[in-house]
Amino acid sequence: MIDPSLQVLLASSLPFLAALVVFASGRMSGAASGWTVLGAAIGSTILLCSLVGDAASVPASFRADWMPSLGVEFHLRADPFALYFALLVVTIGGLVTLYSLSYLRDEPASHLRRYYASLATFMGAMVGIALADDLILLFVFWEMTSLSSFLLIGYRFENAEARSGAVRALLVTSLGGLVMSVGFLLLAKIAGTFSISTIAANPRIVEQVLASPLSSAALICILCGAFTKSAQFPFHFWLPKAMVAPTPISAYLHAATMVKAGIFLLARMDPVFGQSPLWAPILVTVGGISLLLGAWQTLREHDLKAILARGTGASLGALVMMYGLGAADQDALQILSHALYKGSLFLVVGIVEHHTHTRDLRQLGGLRREMPLTFAVFVVAALSMAGIPPLLGFVAKEGLFVALLETDVLSPGGRAVLLAVAVASGALLAAAAWRMTAGIFLGSRPDALSAQPHGHSTVQRDWILLAPPALLSAAALTLGVLAAMPSIVQMFADGSSRPDAALHLSSIPHPGAALAFSLTALTLAGLLVATRDRLSAFADRLPVLPPAERTWDALVTGLMDLGSAYSSRWENGSLRWYLGATLAALPLLIVHVLDSVGLSYRRIEISLEDLSWQGLACCTMLGVATIAAVRARTRLAAVITTTIVGFLVAMIFMIYRSPDILLTQILIETVSTIFLLLVLVHLPPFRLPDLSPIARLVNGTVATAVGACATILLLLSMTPGLRELDNIATRPGGLLARSLLDGGGSNAVNVIIVDLRALDTTGEITVLVVVGLCIYSLLRTRRTA
Amino acid sequence: MTASSPILRVVCSYSVPLTVLVALRMFWQGHDLPGGGFIAGVLLAAAGAMALLAYGMSWAVARPWWKLSVVGLAISLANGIVPLSRGKAFMDNTFLDIAGLHLPTAVFFDLGVMLIVTGTLMTIFVELGQEHD
Repeated sequence: MIDPSLQVLLASSLPFLAALVVFASGRMSGAASGWTVLGAAIGSTILLCSLVGDAASVPASFRADWMPSLGVEFHLRADPFALYFALLVVTIGGLVTLYSLSYLRDEPASHLRRYYASLATFMGAMVGIALADDLILLFVFWEMTSLSSFLLIGYRFENAEARSGAVRALLVTSLGGLVMSVGFLLLAKIAGTFSISTIAANPRIVEQVLASPLSSAALICILCGAFTKSAQFPFHFWLPKAMVAPTPISAYLHAATMVKAGIFLLARMDPVFGQSPLWAPILVTVGGISLLLGAWQTLREHDLKAILARGTGASLGALVMMYGLGAADQDALQILSHALYKGSLFLVVGIVEHHTHTRDLRQLGGLRREMPLTFAVFVVAALSMAGIPPLLGFVAKEGLFVALLETDVLSPGGRAVLLAVAVASGALLAAAAWRMTAGIFLGSRPDALSAQPHGHSTVQRDWILLAPPALLSAAALTLGVLAAMPSIVQMFADGSSRPDAALHLSSIPHPGAALAFSLTALTLAGLLVATRDRLSAFADRLPVLPPAERTWDALVTGLMDLGSAYSSRWENGSLRWYLGATLAALPLLIVHVLDSVGLSYRRIEISLEDLSWQGLACCTMLGVATIAAVRARTRLAAVITTTIVGFLVAMIFMIYRSPDILLTQILIETVSTIFLLLVLVHLPPFRLPDLSPIARLVNGTVATAVGACATILLLLSMTPGLRELDNIATRPGGLLARSLLDGGGSNAVNVIIVDLRALDTTGEITVLVVVGLCIYSLLRTRRTA
Repeated sequence: MTASSPILRVVCSYSVPLTVLVALRMFWQGHDLPGGGFIAGVLLAAAGAMALLAYGMSWAVARPWWKLSVVGLAISLANGIVPLSRGKAFMDNTFLDIAGLHLPTAVFFDLGVMLIVTGTLMTIFVELGQEHD
């Protein structure tokens, strides 16, 4: 067997490799790319499974230096909880891929390659989140899931709704991710390490973190990341909008895995911040609100996927609450329970949609005869959602009630409120489960419901479509029935983020307060179902857009407006404006720099003794030419006068014997005159702008200031006594001295350019090439267009 | 572009080769005397511009001038990268003794600069010149 550390690396990189193969192949068929991804998922599953044995005692880990100077490592660590989560990701990923093979079989191959490549990338990133031990590495994988989920939600990008849903999900989750990264940096700063396991395993560091004044800021930032990802209040609104994704994606990302990344993060942070005074209040409040809100909103939806999405928000709220209550020992159970039934429900909804072309509960009904197996699978999952024994959902719900009853973080009043919330939400979710089951399968079949699916009526017997949800439902049932067995309990206990705590599970209802609450919830659910018409009519009357969503939209629109206002005011494409702004800033900069090095114009010493008559003549002509250039009435005159100015400057260089600069100046003048003449004919008619006196004054002031500053700089550089200042060119061992010694050339300017400062020149010539290419492509495309 | 005068064409038949020669000389002496890759590049482009004015655009249009600058960039970068393979720093220049010449390797960098300047300027000349049509 291969080395465990390599195994960890391989398990997390297999999906990425599959994505690369699919994406790079360019001509692989849709099915082949699906099988490739499925193969990667199976490979990862096997690799991860073989690591389980030693996970508790010696977690396999792979570490490599990444940014050693910052203490950032590429560190993957397969502790039991990480393995548990990663296994969940790859197994459900495999099932979803299998399902997609049939579900999307009629799509064009190029779309499918994109789909499977994104799916595999997502899977790899999720495994990465599970295994990453370094905060920065975790953040990178975190953002990768945001990006790949953006691609997956927007899979049908021709659809405007899909695009907006994808953008919204991306904005919310990546904004949360950014805030979270700040939290990570703060945490690492306080703790002195980026390694999560080191922080968590070290009580001294944890104390240090909790004692730090930055601790609450770090915690709140990290929670922002978790809440956005897990669609918690007040960021809950993106999840229903993300339902435009193909159904397998909704099942995978928005029920089973990605939204659980936030939960996973909470589990990772529990050992660190669990004792923080903010931890329990925030988590319990946010989780409770999300739980009740999501459960309540299921009433209002008629789209099956939207109901499921609201329910997911609620269940995730329950999970968040659970961490707040200090019941992290149940997380393995809770995560799996939700993933199993919700994944199964989503996949069955996909089958129903495939069969009938609709997901609207009001149009569906009576499908139990047509699709008996699908019906059975759905019922099992729905029972688990409703929390009815002996399904895993019941065990999980009992666990939550027990946690609520036994926790010591709540005041009696708070406990009562939360119990009420839990009972009400349990009832609402059970009612939603009933409503979906009844709405799809029971009753009579509406006549309008289309009989034929996409041209193949075999969907019902298509085992590829039915097998994944059937497996998930079967798992929910089996694990629920066997929940009392020691080995199963042990599995949930070992897989949880707090493996040393004792966990008690039972699928057999036994008398107790928890059972009483469960029964109350179910009774209430019955009442809800009985009055559902009146209730959903009431729910329909509530405002459609929840305020959080409207606020978010206003925020995004406002930001966009700000951006376009900024660019239309400041980046308006007017050369005059750009040049004016640059020139106006220049004197300020020069004055500031001169001031900061302690120079002023007073130190200039001008002596007119060396003034030759040629120089004086040149300067006089320069003055005349400059005035002529400013006063030119046609463009040609402006070009010619400017050229004259340039050549007169060259003449000054000649008089003062500076052949290098003289040569450059003459050539540049020549070439730029050619340029100007070439473009002259294309320019619009020359119009002297009608400037108000104030504008003239401003222009004149800027021009004078720039000229004055340039003159002062020049004179300062010529002033004897200032040349001894520390200067990278003239100081001993400076560039001038080195050009002869190291560069071996006596043309210091050129040696500096091509040798001593070649790196700077490289940057410049690269810019030059890019500019040339831009001009080439711009003019070419304009001509051919 | 309209046909140019015969006088210009006759003058250019001498001045263009001469300018090219001067440019090469400038390039060569750049290490110790006024000159260097940049100036040589501009001179070459000036020769090109003269040829464009005298003989029209047709000879230049078909030529991919931008490739010249890309090749130049490649040469300059290669000059920086080669020392890396010998365990030295990026852009670490030294001297080569080839056929009795004591040649600083920076000359290759300078060659790249010259090609880039010529290539970019000629690209702009040719593209802007074609706008006339």
